[in-house]
Amino acid sequence: MTSVLGRRVTRSDAEAKVRGSADYGVDVVLPGMVYGALWRSPVPAARVVAIDSEAAWRVPGVLALITGADVDNHPTGLALCDQPLFGWPVVRYEGEPVAAVAAETPESLEKALDLLHVEFVERPAITDVTSALSPDAVLVHPDWASYASPSGAEWPREGNVVCELLSDPGGVGEVFSSAAHVVRDVYRADRQYQAYLEPHAAVAEYNSGRFTLHVAHQFPFNVRDRVAHALGVGASAVRVVGHHIGGGFGAKLDVALEPYAALLARATGRPVRMENSRSEDLMTAQCRESAVVTISSALSASGDMLGCEFDVVFDSGAYAIDAPYLASIPMFAVGSVYRVDRTRVRCRAVYTNTAPTGAFRGVSGTYLVFAVERHLDHVARELGLDRRELRLRHLRRNGEKMLNGQTLADADILRECFDRAEEVAPFSSLGKGPYRGVGMAACVWLTNPLAGSAVLKLNEDGTIGLVTGATDNGSGAVTMGLRQIAAEEFGIGASDVLVTMPDTDVAGYDAGSQGSRTTRVVGMAVIAAAAQVRERVLSIASDHFEAAAADLEVVDGGVQVRGVPSRRLTLAEVAKLAASNGGPITGAGSYSTPLPNYSPTCATGFLFPAFPTPTYHLHVAEVEVEPLVGTVRVLRYIVVQEVGRVVNPTGVVGQIQGGVAQGLGYALWEWLESEGGRYRQRTFESYGLPLSVDVPRVEVVTLEHGDSDSPHGAKGVGEPPIVPVAAAVANAVSDAIGAEVDAIPIRPEAILEALGPLGASEHRE
Amino acid sequence: MPAAVEFRSVRSTEEAVASLSEHGSDACVIAGGTDVMMQYARHELSPAVFVHIEGIKELTNAQRDGSLRLGALVTHRHLADDPVIRTGHPALAEAAATVGGWQTQGVGTLGGNLCNASPAADTAPPLLVADATVELCGPRGIRRVPLEEFFLGRRHVDRRPEELLTGVEAAPLGPRQAEVYLKVGRRGGMVVAVAGLAARLSFDEQGVIAAARLAVCSVGPTPLRVRPAEEALLGLCPSGRMTDDGYTALEEAIAALSGAVSPIDDVRSSAAYRRAVLPRLLRRSVEVCRAAVRAGISQDDLS
Repeated sequence: MTSVLGRRVTRSDAEAKVRGSADYGVDVVLPGMVYGALWRSPVPAARVVAIDSEAAWRVPGVLALITGADVDNHPTGLALCDQPLFGWPVVRYEGEPVAAVAAETPESLEKALDLLHVEFVERPAITDVTSALSPDAVLVHPDWASYASPSGAEWPREGNVVCELLSDPGGVGEVFSSAAHVVRDVYRADRQYQAYLEPHAAVAEYNSGRFTLHVAHQFPFNVRDRVAHALGVGASAVRVVGHHIGGGFGAKLDVALEPYAALLARATGRPVRMENSRSEDLMTAQCRESAVVTISSALSASGDMLGCEFDVVFDSGAYAIDAPYLASIPMFAVGSVYRVDRTRVRCRAVYTNTAPTGAFRGVSGTYLVFAVERHLDHVARELGLDRRELRLRHLRRNGEKMLNGQTLADADILRECFDRAEEVAPFSSLGKGPYRGVGMAACVWLTNPLAGSAVLKLNEDGTIGLVTGATDNGSGAVTMGLRQIAAEEFGIGASDVLVTMPDTDVAGYDAGSQGSRTTRVVGMAVIAAAAQVRERVLSIASDHFEAAAADLEVVDGGVQVRGVPSRRLTLAEVAKLAASNGGPITGAGSYSTPLPNYSPTCATGFLFPAFPTPTYHLHVAEVEVEPLVGTVRVLRYIVVQEVGRVVNPTGVVGQIQGGVAQGLGYALWEWLESEGGRYRQRTFESYGLPLSVDVPRVEVVTLEHGDSDSPHGAKGVGEPPIVPVAAAVANAVSDAIGAEVDAIPIRPEAILEALGPLGASEHRE
Repeated sequence: MPAAVEFRSVRSTEEAVASLSEHGSDACVIAGGTDVMMQYARHELSPAVFVHIEGIKELTNAQRDGSLRLGALVTHRHLADDPVIRTGHPALAEAAATVGGWQTQGVGTLGGNLCNASPAADTAPPLLVADATVELCGPRGIRRVPLEEFFLGRRHVDRRPEELLTGVEAAPLGPRQAEVYLKVGRRGGMVVAVAGLAARLSFDEQGVIAAARLAVCSVGPTPLRVRPAEEALLGLCPSGRMTDDGYTALEEAIAALSGAVSPIDDVRSSAAYRRAVLPRLLRRSVEVCRAAVRAGISQDDLS
């Protein structure tokens, strides 16, 4: 049997998804199920004075109505306990839950929500980071000092500043004062909504003191822990059952509706279903944060980068969520691809009266790389240097260290990325012609190291059962990757590996579908579990053949005496023999990637201190600007990406194309404008996702420098292809119009403005 | 939750008019439903009766007999695909092809697009430059209203509650005449116009603009024909590629156009951007029409 690795194995859920029979979170229907919904605040900042629920209770069919007065409304949170279940008595963002209602029918539910009367007094809202930082700013959380981290971690924070990361190696000021050139830029990025097909939904049951939650969630174990914490029960009182996920992109890592569904299920004694409308989802999803990035470089006369100051302020929204971790990312956005001698980094996340922001594929890397790479183009232009040459001169080499002190043993791959992109299309040959331009952007990204596990069982028909809490949010990491890795261990086809859906009662802990971790981390757990199964198989076969286990091999779905294929048992035969020789065969494996060495003293407030299993990326974009109206068309898009090992080409290329499409949306079309703390765009009509006509064929080059400590060398693939996209596109647009581009999304208004007064610079050749 | 609503399907114009006469402003006409159903779901409409007219066969035809006569139930896809419309009314065909996605185009109707009276109605500017007239059928007979007078305000048209819009009549392109619809959106398809401009221009043998029609959408409460700008275009002789001089020549028309519109900031764009693109659209439309007429003439010469 040839290897199943590197082959286009079909995903196990393909047919169900194509036929429409796949069971998504929104499809869950339970006997006796009723409907729940939230009364959400229509204003961004207020004090709730009174809630009159009498009329709502009188609606026939209303079963439960819960407000902050009815529960222990203690604050909880992912990184910091600052978020109560209900915005009561204080509302901190538009859309914050104020009450939860359950009713027999959607009609009664809607009527009850209409009749619920909440009296509140509006308060001045902090709606942008600049006003949040002003010395006399109103505090979004006057009690900030009383909040604690669930993990006990501490970091610098004060007032509206949720967290502050600071890294100062010293001597940066001196470098700047003696530099031949100093180039300074300020870049801005708006928010981005994850825009998955399936909105947040949850179905909860409460029986015999335990909650069961049916979800389509990237991180079921986090749902378990967060719901338990918010409701004040033990983690084992909550069971989370996963279903097919209609997309997540990071927005389904923290809880959304789950705690409220659980509360309503307990209050009604009935299964309760909740589902966000699209507008509710868009308003309240933890979208990618808006940010302001200031970057200054000190340069020698010949353009060597001697020093850098990197200052980031991002909008955490009304609550911290994962901001204290994200504040560390700037440490990896500067100084990782390109060498800079002395760099000072400061990053602050601030509270505002806006919807909390959180994880979105590529997190802050998207706009941080945008700032760094735009700045490099600006430096090249100021100093009259070639953009590609400037980058090549500063590329990190094997053994050099990032700002956190972590050694990049294989950084020479960066140079290979540049060379391979040049083979696809020489940089200097692209972007020729009126209003055309080319841009490039590179990054180093991580493979999330957090823990995972797998149990393998040899079924009595010789197939392999794979029990894992890992989730497949659409990437194929479970439905293709893990099945292939398991199949490879036994020389069977991937179709003979049957994988379970996640269930926190059944499977061991898994840290969720995030940071491209599943194939790499859970793949290692699968291999460890398979080793135990193989050991039992060999032991049973050894008894059967009366041969030493060392003389046996597991091959092609069976076990045989080395070199004597006639002396062979199939896996099904071994499974039957096991019944009377030690019992059924199972194996269990667990894994988490050890953190690489880093310098703990390199920064304060450094909660995310290393980039394990690093991968390397170079993107090249060629664009054409329509000078009439300032729109941008992407002509070519080239990605060179280090992946370790291609486990499934369909999966790898699909993830890269998808990441690029999502990045193009971020760069050009997806506007999420905040006005007085409220989003202007609230539907898919006004929130403009890219269409197939807007996305060119993505030209993909994969590099395979296998990681010896990864399953067959495979590194994380899915997250990073979105990271450099906005940067590459912005550089290409800037090249096309001969002017700086300093904000994401790149608006037609900004392009027209850059092109100058009507007609002045038209027909640029 | 809206109260229960009656859904009445009618098979003829008479039946529709009778139904509308019976229920007056409590009734809402529905055809493809691409606008109505969304407004109903958003609780912007709460009719007692939906009068469903999609089954009225006689309103689904497009006929060319001198002028073009389009039934109210002609779909956007039909407008975009019909060879007669594509040659006689290329701007209309192009506009219809940019409305929503394929599904929307397949069921959304011309009558619906006009009666919905969105400021961004794509079919309106091309019909305005074709001197279109709408036909309204009521209990006392037929009433014809120039499309220019039909739009009274945002989502407000000159249709009485008991009347049904049955068709539209429009003048096809004449000799030495060309037209274009330029639509501004952010992405490559499925966009509500940020701004739209239709132009139909006639050129004399010297290449001088002899007649002009200009209309815009998404830059005011209704689609709008811009007569002062039309007048300013008369007598101009645009050259092939218009450089800065082209703008000077168009200055008066641009000023007239800018003076006639009242764009706003909204979820799709800013008033400033809309004002910035209009002059560019005007110039491009003149270039395109001029080139089309030249190409048409040289083709005639060859044949």
